[in-house]
Amino acid sequence: MFTKQMISSEIPMLMSKACEIFIQELTFRAWMHAEKNNKSIVQPCDVAKVIMQTDTMNFLTEIIPNNLGDFSVFDAKEENIANIAEENEVSLSFTAGFMGNPMMKMDSEENAGNIVEGNQATLPYTSGFMGNPMNMMNMDNVRMK
Amino acid sequence: MGDNIGKVLDREGFKYNFTASASGTSAQDGVIKEQDRLLPIANVGRIMKQILPPNAKISKEAKETMQESVSEFISFVTGEASDKCHKEKRKTVNGDDICWALATLGFDDYSEPLKRYLYKYREMEGERANQNKGSNGYENNIANI
Repeated sequence: MFTKQMISSEIPMLMSKACEIFIQELTFRAWMHAEKNNKSIVQPCDVAKVIMQTDTMNFLTEIIPNNLGDFSVFDAKEENIANIAEENEVSLSFTAGFMGNPMMKMDSEENAGNIVEGNQATLPYTSGFMGNPMNMMNMDNVRMK
Repeated sequence: MGDNIGKVLDREGFKYNFTASASGTSAQDGVIKEQDRLLPIANVGRIMKQILPPNAKISKEAKETMQESVSEFISFVTGEASDKCHKEKRKTVNGDDICWALATLGFDDYSEPLKRYLYKYREMEGERANQNKGSNGYENNIANI
């Protein structure tokens, strides 16, 4: 039997912030996937692929459209693109030093610089960001209105 | 996404009505309209754009997929927090339950910053309550005079 439950006044505020982080993480992972395939547009197949690959996102597998559920054709295309990229020595212009984990903890920009130098890549857009959405949301400086 | 139009999805005791109907926020007969079930697409799109570089584009379908994902995320987290409260025989879900649920479901990276956010929110609420008490006391004193 289901009993009615109430929520405290802090829940909407907290959940809205949690949703914001969730959207940004999933978007960034999807964008990394799109850019890996030399695409500038994030499409549902990128989001779906991220959902399939990330353990914490597995609860979303039900909402992936049926036509995106089977990745056999998609994977074949992806492999072809990857091979072409290797042959042509294509470099990612935005975040080559990112290493593919949006929640990766970066100690400082010096470490980030070392990773970038190691990969021999340049980050023209946001060298300080290095793919951690948590850096954008510094809780110590939060100002409540 | 478009295939859902006209269908009624019955899940977890709720009826989701996907038919486009006249605006109105009240859910009659347990039927929840799609615009009430999902977060506004403009807001979702804006949050998605914040994390991406200016040259990145997001397809409408990707935004819709993200809308679905976020709604599922909210249900997933609040469901877990609600279960905890139910087991502990508490009627009100609070912020700590949400943080606990996030950590339990594998979103540890969200849990810690949100705990700090919640702490700051409670501090601000406490200050606001004290200010209100102070002003009310002052008004009462004037009334007594």
